[in-house]
Amino acid sequence: MLNINKTIEEGKALFALEGRLDTITAPVLEEDLMNSLEGVKDLTLDFEKLDYISSAGLRVLLATQKIMNKEKGEMKVRNLNDTIAEIFELTGFAEILTIE
Amino acid sequence: MADLTNGAVTVDLKGRIDSRNAADAEAHIQSVLDGKTGVPVVLDMEELEYISSAGLRVLLRLKKTNPDLRIINVNSDVYEILDMTGFTQMMKVEKAYRVVSVEGCEEVGRGANGTIYRIDQDNVIKVYNNADALADIQHEREVARLALVLGIPTAISYDVVRVNDSYGSVFEFLNARSFSKILETEPEKMDWCVEEYIGMLKKIHSTLVPEGKLPDMKETALNWVRFMKDYLPEDAGEKLIRLVEEVPHDDHMIHGDYHTKNVMLQNDETLLIDMDTLAVGHPIFELASMYNSFIGYSEYDNTAIERFQGFTLDIGKQFWHKALAAYLGTQNEYRIREVEDKARIIGYARMIRRSIRRKGMETPEGRAEIELWKGELLELLEKTDTLLFARNELEIGADVENLQEVLDFIDRNLEDTDCPPRARMQIAVAAEEIFVNIANYAYAPEHGNATVLMEVSEAPVTVTITFMDQGVPYDPLASEEPDVTLSAEERRIGGLGIFLAKKTMDDIVYEYKDGRNILKLKKNL
Repeated sequence: MLNINKTIEEGKALFALEGRLDTITAPVLEEDLMNSLEGVKDLTLDFEKLDYISSAGLRVLLATQKIMNKEKGEMKVRNLNDTIAEIFELTGFAEILTIE
Repeated sequence: MADLTNGAVTVDLKGRIDSRNAADAEAHIQSVLDGKTGVPVVLDMEELEYISSAGLRVLLRLKKTNPDLRIINVNSDVYEILDMTGFTQMMKVEKAYRVVSVEGCEEVGRGANGTIYRIDQDNVIKVYNNADALADIQHEREVARLALVLGIPTAISYDVVRVNDSYGSVFEFLNARSFSKILETEPEKMDWCVEEYIGMLKKIHSTLVPEGKLPDMKETALNWVRFMKDYLPEDAGEKLIRLVEEVPHDDHMIHGDYHTKNVMLQNDETLLIDMDTLAVGHPIFELASMYNSFIGYSEYDNTAIERFQGFTLDIGKQFWHKALAAYLGTQNEYRIREVEDKARIIGYARMIRRSIRRKGMETPEGRAEIELWKGELLELLEKTDTLLFARNELEIGADVENLQEVLDFIDRNLEDTDCPPRARMQIAVAAEEIFVNIANYAYAPEHGNATVLMEVSEAPVTVTITFMDQGVPYDPLASEEPDVTLSAEERRIGGLGIFLAKKTMDDIVYEYKDGRNILKLKKNL
């Protein structure tokens, strides 16, 4: 299960994720992001309540980062738990994403 | 007459002891005991016909100087006197054993240490092979009592008797038939027998035994394989020992000689007999002796089973296969064979050792059976890396929608371990990757099943998860690793899952075997 709590105002978007970002839920997030990102120059993904991320979740993050780069926007990921932070390290995501 | 055995002095008393000869008898006893202070004293009354109060006073004085005095082989007349006068309360008095003949009696069971005969409608006797069986009898009584207290239905002997030159334990058994007899005479009841037999086995294997109460089967098996070592090529012998050494200690009960002659149906109740081999240990040791009793011993001489069990080798093979499938809870032939092969390793080692100890090397038949079993053993050792097998299995449709069920299954099996959240997530991430791969590619566009096996070993705690499917051969480990140093723009989307699994698991092995993709994940906790 994944809950997405989003607030979008004047080109700034905050997606607070809660639960699991896996093969089942990643496409849901991806669709939601694609539908919301028009005109967004500043995207923040809050992982405070995210328990789990698999490669399917990483795919969505990478795809979203590519879009934001193209749109000359910024994307940040914040409040990672230790295990997810370690996965970011292993996969090089710690380098290519902006982590807070 | 005196005899110093087991550290005790035994004095035989014969005839009558009354006021006329009590003093002589006492002097005789003292002369035997002279200079042996502190040694336990046993009075053997087998040939004593009568004892008067003067004789009893001799016993009292003897008891004072020898508090551990034991009186054995007391006939029923003398026992009555000792009992009426309260002597049986004051000192250890053992009755003479009733003498029973089993000539012409039906053999209803046979175990490692003895043979069971029906002596009348309601009673059976287990006659021990070993002439000096009193210690064995004592041991079997104790373990049977322990098993009963722990909830295993079994029979406990109510009397010990003499049978020829040996001893026997007497059990009450009303209308009891062994499962071997049922299989022999009513083979159509095989499926019912399998269910009862495996139900009982699972009950035994789920019974925790307090520490130190039963011998450790692993130690016994280690003795077998150490004995075997010299008869095998050096590397094979070492591997055999290592395989047994790596089986984790297990405090659950195993019967040790669990074949259908040792499981009885009494009225509607299934009962275990022949408890003397009771032990604690990993179920692989149990499965090994089961394999032997249904198939192993008959591989060289295929009439052996009929002589032993009463039914044919064909029935034995069918029963074993169904029983193992029921025990593992699977119809997956690959899996059944995999566990059977592990059981056979211990089974062959045990049979070879037994044959050698029975001077098998000195006869052509002995050498031929040893050669046959050794050939099988060497072949199995070649392809086996562990004797452990997964006892938890999930058979599930290989569809992405079932992912949560797979992850829940894995999580449930991790609950009993102290798996830290970090490792738990790493295992889940790896498992998700493998399962989703199977779901997306193995059978597409058709559907098929995936099997997930889970096994947790102790010391060190290692989690092994095996994924199997019968889809197109595909080795996910062969795909090119992503370059994790590239920038977001240069990075390709995907390929990260296997990469993560390789990084976070301690071992990942893929093989394609018998029409199956088999992928094993291993994680040390």
